[in-house]
Amino acid sequence: MPEIRLTVIDPSGLHARPAAKFVQAASRFTSRIHIRHDGREADAKSLIALLGLTIRPSSDITLAADGPDADAALAALTAELSPYIDPAGNPAG
Amino acid sequence: MVGLVLISHSGTLVEGLREMVAQVAGDEVTVATAGGTEDGRLGTSAPRIASAIRQALDSGADEALVLLDLGSAALSLELALEELDPADRLRVRITEAPLVEGAILAAVQASIGSPIDQVIAAAEGAATLAKLPRD
Repeated sequence: MPEIRLTVIDPSGLHARPAAKFVQAASRFTSRIHIRHDGREADAKSLIALLGLTIRPSSDITLAADGPDADAALAALTAELSPYIDPAGNPAG
Repeated sequence: MVGLVLISHSGTLVEGLREMVAQVAGDEVTVATAGGTEDGRLGTSAPRIASAIRQALDSGADEALVLLDLGSAALSLELALEELDPADRLRVRITEAPLVEGAILAAVQASIGSPIDQVIAAAEGAATLAKLPRD
């Protein structure tokens, strides 16, 4: 199951508007997609689950996809988040 | 797609909420509003609510989910539902979800084409949604 680790660098964390766009993008794929943060996991196709993770700036998240279009889903979702993230290991100042 | 009907004692409140919903969820989701009385005071009006519901159903929504604020909004909504054609009434569901957060969560869920039961579940989850970090 492909996974990718990312660091949220947006000063507001993953707030409502990007989270909503992320959920809309995730729902276009048939794979099951999860986002993990701080030991908790949310269904990437549910805004309420995603907002419930309260993802803050400079925190690490992991995207995991399972299904026939998993690789394409992770690529598209990483692109969707690109204004808000950095590859993990490059913490924002 | 599910459309939303937002009912409040304040027209300003539901107009602002409609803007927030459109910005977060996009403008594909139909959002109709009924805020304030016919003469522009704070309050609720059954005819205005009935008209907002018909507007949502006529502008492309398969079903309409109604969110409301407090007190007499529920009574006015009940009267409004009695005014509707029975066929329209069957396409309307009501939720006790918090108005602001519920509308936004419901709209995002509706925007991805979810069935109305999932849209209602998203709206009602707003009541217990964490807003502050846990630490």
